[in-house]
Amino acid sequence: MFPTPIEKTPRAWQLTYQSLLPLALLMWLLPLLAVALFSVKPEADFVGGGYWSLPSYFAGFENYGRVFFDSDMPRYLMNSVLITIPTVIGCVILSSMTGFALGIYKFKSNIWIFFMFVAGNFVPFQILMVPVRDLTLDLGLYNTKTGLVLFHIAFQTGFCTLFMRNFIRALPFPLIEAARVEGVSEWRIFWYVVLPLMKPAIAAMSVLIFTFIWNDYFWAVVLTQGAESQPVTAGITSFNAQYRAAYHLMSAGSIVAALPPVAMFFLMQKHFIAGLTLGAVK
Amino acid sequence: MHPAIQGLITIVIGVGGCIGYFYFSNQFLDKVLFPARGPNAGRNINRANMIRPWLFLFPAIVALGLYLAYPVVETLRLSVTERIPGGGSEFVGFANYAQMFSEPKFWEAMRNNMLWLIIVPAFSTAFGLLAAQLTDRISWGNVAKSIIFMPMAISFVGAAVIWKLVYDTRPEGQDQIGILNAFWVAMGGDPQTWLTIPYLNSILLMIVLIWIQTGFAMVILSAALRGIPEETIEAAIVDGANPFQIFFKIKVPQIMGTIVVVWTTITLVVLKVFDIVFAMTNGQWQTQVLANYMYDKLFRANDWGVGSASAIVIMLLVTPILVWNVHNARKEMR
Repeated sequence: MFPTPIEKTPRAWQLTYQSLLPLALLMWLLPLLAVALFSVKPEADFVGGGYWSLPSYFAGFENYGRVFFDSDMPRYLMNSVLITIPTVIGCVILSSMTGFALGIYKFKSNIWIFFMFVAGNFVPFQILMVPVRDLTLDLGLYNTKTGLVLFHIAFQTGFCTLFMRNFIRALPFPLIEAARVEGVSEWRIFWYVVLPLMKPAIAAMSVLIFTFIWNDYFWAVVLTQGAESQPVTAGITSFNAQYRAAYHLMSAGSIVAALPPVAMFFLMQKHFIAGLTLGAVK
Repeated sequence: MHPAIQGLITIVIGVGGCIGYFYFSNQFLDKVLFPARGPNAGRNINRANMIRPWLFLFPAIVALGLYLAYPVVETLRLSVTERIPGGGSEFVGFANYAQMFSEPKFWEAMRNNMLWLIIVPAFSTAFGLLAAQLTDRISWGNVAKSIIFMPMAISFVGAAVIWKLVYDTRPEGQDQIGILNAFWVAMGGDPQTWLTIPYLNSILLMIVLIWIQTGFAMVILSAALRGIPEETIEAAIVDGANPFQIFFKIKVPQIMGTIVVVWTTITLVVLKVFDIVFAMTNGQWQTQVLANYMYDKLFRANDWGVGSASAIVIMLLVTPILVWNVHNARKEMR
C-alpha cells in the first residue's frame, strides 16, 4: 500500500513526523490562537503588559457582551446577512438558467456567449470601480444594500455560469433527450429533470458564493459608507478605529467578524471543497 | 418595518419575479408566439427552440452588460480623458498614462506587484503541495487539512486585522503584544516596527496572503494527488525509487496540469490584491501595489484619469491569463 501509513515506518521517523506536524500546525494557527486568547482576557490584564500570561479571569462574556450590545457590530452583521443571502439566491437562480441554456442547447452563438462569461470571470474588479460607482449613484442606490446586492449578483454571474455549465455538461444527456421524446416541454425539463440533478452543484456553489460575498471588502467601501448599510468586513475596520487601544475588544470583534464564514466552512466543509475543486479543475 | 422582514420581502419578490419570468416567458413562447399546432406546427417548434436559449440567457446578459461590459469600456474612455472643472470632460490622449509613468509611486507599485506575483503563488503552491503530501499519510489528516484550510474562510480584511496584531510593536523594555516581536525579543533582539522596514514589510504582507491561499492550493492538489493511478507508484516502488523520487519524478509530473491551474488562480488573486495592503499599511513605507495605488488616485487625489489608466494596466496584466484560459476552454470543446 502506498503511501505507507506512517505507523509502519521506523520509530524515529515516526516520532519526528508525529511531533513536528502538530507543531507546524500550531504555528499556523498561532495568530488566531493569540487573538482568541486576547479576546477572553479582562482589560486589566493589558495594563501591566502581561499579554502572554493566562487570563487572570475569564472575561469572555464581558468582552463579547460589549461587542454585541455596546457597538455597531450587530448592525454590521445584520447588513452582511442581508447582503449575502439575497446575492446567493440571485446567483443560483440566474446561473442555473444560463448554465442550462449554455449546457443543453446547441445554437450558433453558444460558444461566443460562453467565452464572454469566461472572460467576465477574469476581469479585474478594479477596472469596474468608477463606472459602477457612478451607475449606482445615478440609480440612487449608493449606500444601499440593494445596490451592493445587484452588483454582486451581476459580477458573480460569470463565475457561477461557468460552474453550472460545466456541471450540466457532465450530466447524462440521454436523460434529457428521453424527456424530449416523451413530449415534456422545455421548462418542465429544466424544472423537473435538470434542476433536481443540479442540487449538489447548487449546494457547493452557494457555500462558495456565500464566503466570497461575506468576505468582500472592496465593494463594501466603494459602494457604501457608515453603519447604515456596510457589511461586517468594513465594520471591523471602523470598529477597530473606535477601540484603537482596547486589544481585548478588538480581538473579540475580529473573532465575531470572522466566525460566520468559518462556521459555514466547518458545517459545509464537504460542499465547500467540492465547490473549489469543481470551480478550479475544469 | 424591521430590516429583516424588509429583506425577506425583497427576496420573495425577487425570487418570485425570476421564477415568474422564467415560467411565463416560456409559456408565452410555446402557447402564444409559436404554438406547436395548426398548419405551421413544425416550423413553430423549430423557431421556438431557436429563441428559447435566449430566454434563459437574457437576464444574465443584461446584468453582465450593465455591470461588466459597459464599465470596462467606460473605464477605457475615462483613462484617455480629463475632467474639466465644472462638468464635462475632454480627450487628452495618453497624457494620463504619461503622467502615471512619470510617478515614482507607480513604479514602486509595479515593482511590488511583480514581487507579489512571483513570491505568493510560488510559496502558496509549494506549501499546499507539501501539506497535501504530508497530511495524506496520517490518520488525523483530515483534521490537519481543516486547520490549514481555515484561514481561507476568513476575509482578507479580517486576516489583515489579525496579522496587524502579530506585527504590532511596543516600546523597548515593555512586554511585546505582537507575536513576531515577542519571539524576536525572546531571542535577544530589540523590538522592531516591522511594517515600516522597506522590502521586509512587503514580504510580511505577502505572508498573510500565503497563509490564506495555501489552504486552497492544498485542497485542490490533494484531490489531484488522490487521482493518480496507483499502478504508476507501485511500479516505481518495485523499481526501487526512494520517496523523494516518487514524489518529484512520478507524482508531480502527473499533476502538473492541476499545479498550473492552482498557480494561475492564485496569480489572479494576487494581481488584484487590495484589502491586505489597504488595511495594514495603506501603501506607506514602500508597500504600494497597483490596486491600492488606483484607489489612492481615485478617492484621495480625485484624479479619475490616472486612476482609470492604472486600472487598465491591471487589466493588461490579467489579459494573458484570460486569453490562455479562453484558449484552453476552446481546445477542450473540440
